[in-house]
Amino acid sequence: MSGLDWGVLIFTLVVIVSYGMYKSRGAQNIQGYLLASQSSPWYSVCLSVMATQASAITFLAAPGLAFSSGMSFVQFYFGLPLAMIVLCITFVPIFHRLKVYTAYEYLEQRFDLNTRALTAFLFLIQRGLSTGITIYAPSIILSTILDINTTYTTLCIGGIVVAYTVYGGSKAVSYTQMLQMSIIFLGLFAAGIMVVHLLPADIGFGRAISIAGKMGRTNAIDLKFDWNNQYNVWSGLIGGFFLQLSYFGTDQSQVGRYLTGASVSQSRLGLLMNGLVKIPMQFLILLIGVLVFTFYQYNRPPVFFNSFELNKLENSSYQPQLGVLKAEYEKTFQAKQLAVNKLSKALESDNQHVIDQQRTVLQQADEHTKAVRKQVTDLMLKNDKSADINDNNYVFLSFVTRYLPKGLIGLLIAIIFLASMGSTASALNSLASTSVIDIYKRLIDKEAGDQKYLAASRWSTVLWGAVCIAMALYASKIGNLLEAVNILGSYIYGTILGVFLVAFYIRHVNGKAVFYAAVITELIVCICGWQKVVAYLWLNLIGCMLVVLIAMLLQLVFKNPKKTFSQI
Amino acid sequence: MQDHRQHNKNEGQDLPPFVKTWKQFYLLLIGWLIFLIVAFYIFTGLTQ
Repeated sequence: MSGLDWGVLIFTLVVIVSYGMYKSRGAQNIQGYLLASQSSPWYSVCLSVMATQASAITFLAAPGLAFSSGMSFVQFYFGLPLAMIVLCITFVPIFHRLKVYTAYEYLEQRFDLNTRALTAFLFLIQRGLSTGITIYAPSIILSTILDINTTYTTLCIGGIVVAYTVYGGSKAVSYTQMLQMSIIFLGLFAAGIMVVHLLPADIGFGRAISIAGKMGRTNAIDLKFDWNNQYNVWSGLIGGFFLQLSYFGTDQSQVGRYLTGASVSQSRLGLLMNGLVKIPMQFLILLIGVLVFTFYQYNRPPVFFNSFELNKLENSSYQPQLGVLKAEYEKTFQAKQLAVNKLSKALESDNQHVIDQQRTVLQQADEHTKAVRKQVTDLMLKNDKSADINDNNYVFLSFVTRYLPKGLIGLLIAIIFLASMGSTASALNSLASTSVIDIYKRLIDKEAGDQKYLAASRWSTVLWGAVCIAMALYASKIGNLLEAVNILGSYIYGTILGVFLVAFYIRHVNGKAVFYAAVITELIVCICGWQKVVAYLWLNLIGCMLVVLIAMLLQLVFKNPKKTFSQI
Repeated sequence: MQDHRQHNKNEGQDLPPFVKTWKQFYLLLIGWLIFLIVAFYIFTGLTQ
């Protein structure tokens, strides 16, 4: 990176952090620290919710996915608007009316202390571990791109986030996220304009999309139902709905964001606006990936986008084999370039016969390119079993650092830092809220004053920050930790959602039944996951359904409900 | 612990000008989702 890029990167980070700390300055109480005094307008809620969900990987992986397999990933978000509606009708009014700080606090009012403590505990484990990965994943990518040690990028991201989250609490999180999202939108828009600008003079935006489309990269919709296909309309609408509902309704990192709304209406508006803009935003991010794909039809891409892994192979005993594969890759690229030029001319003259002919040629060449890349990754694994052979996350950043002008590179690198910081800050704030409100205040010291709880919240944020940074540093020592944390999330999310669904919709079930149902379900889910009975993503649905069913059955046994929904 | 919640007595006042009730907003969001799915379907068909 040039001096100008470093300047833009550092200036952007300093301005945003200073702004967040300035706006959240002054004496606070616990309500201000954990819920931003519940004074946020709807646009702040909306941007905060979006910034929390969009981690750095969202902006790195999505263009990479579009580059390698097309736009089908957009369907993953189809369930989100429906989940927003259910949240606005049920979750938001209840949380506001009961004046809770955390989602789990509500469970004590609806059920009992055991259920509250159990769900809070499960959340702390899951979110505590996954936040380490939220810091680690972009750190490793940035360290490769910037050619600096992972420890420094991890400490930089983690240190900055902990500093402003501890200082300003939820207000600092909200204010920085507002600015972060504005800069992220600006940076991505500029990147999209630049990709089109870098295409050959006779290739405009429409032609670039058409070329990518003929090579199967504009597949935004797939109406076929297929259990094995991760992304189609039905899995997006049904599976996505449950996933988004559990994430937004039961994960304190999101609940804590929309509870900062000044009223039920402001929280609702923020969530509904998120429902309106989220899918188009993801579509546009994927479209950037599609444009990068077309760009690489005219400019030879590297055989593998993760330069660290490629350099490792080049310096190994497999270098001669790699040389042969690179030559093969170059030959295929030249053949593709000829076919792309013919396709472009055929599109201009609307010659359908030539279009069909060249589409077949290009699709075959594309398959051959993939086969060569597969041989390269096989060599990487032969050379080093722990090699990272998925380079999706590097496609966009590799393009940015190689082709974009000075200054814009710094801004886009800043975006990755900002996205990581936004989601990490929300997570730390939610971990502190749950630790203090659900554990410390409820179980350890019930009678402490406001200032003592405020101090406990700050110390809790520091502690969780240290745990997450340590996790991120340790993650580099264990190759498959990322997947392990995702699996752990699937073990837990379904159970928590099941508890909340029983709380809201099955009025006659009481605390004892739902607590034992959650414990039994968690054991069954762990056994299913351990024995690999199903793919781990299905554990969410299984966990949710089991809690509901077992709670209803146990209620028949226990009878005598102590407290019913209508009483709350 | 103090509660500083600013309770809004008339939630309808916070609705955006293009809808009159929350129900209308929910229907608008469902309509928007259907529109996007149809638009993406046409986009997929036209570009492939």
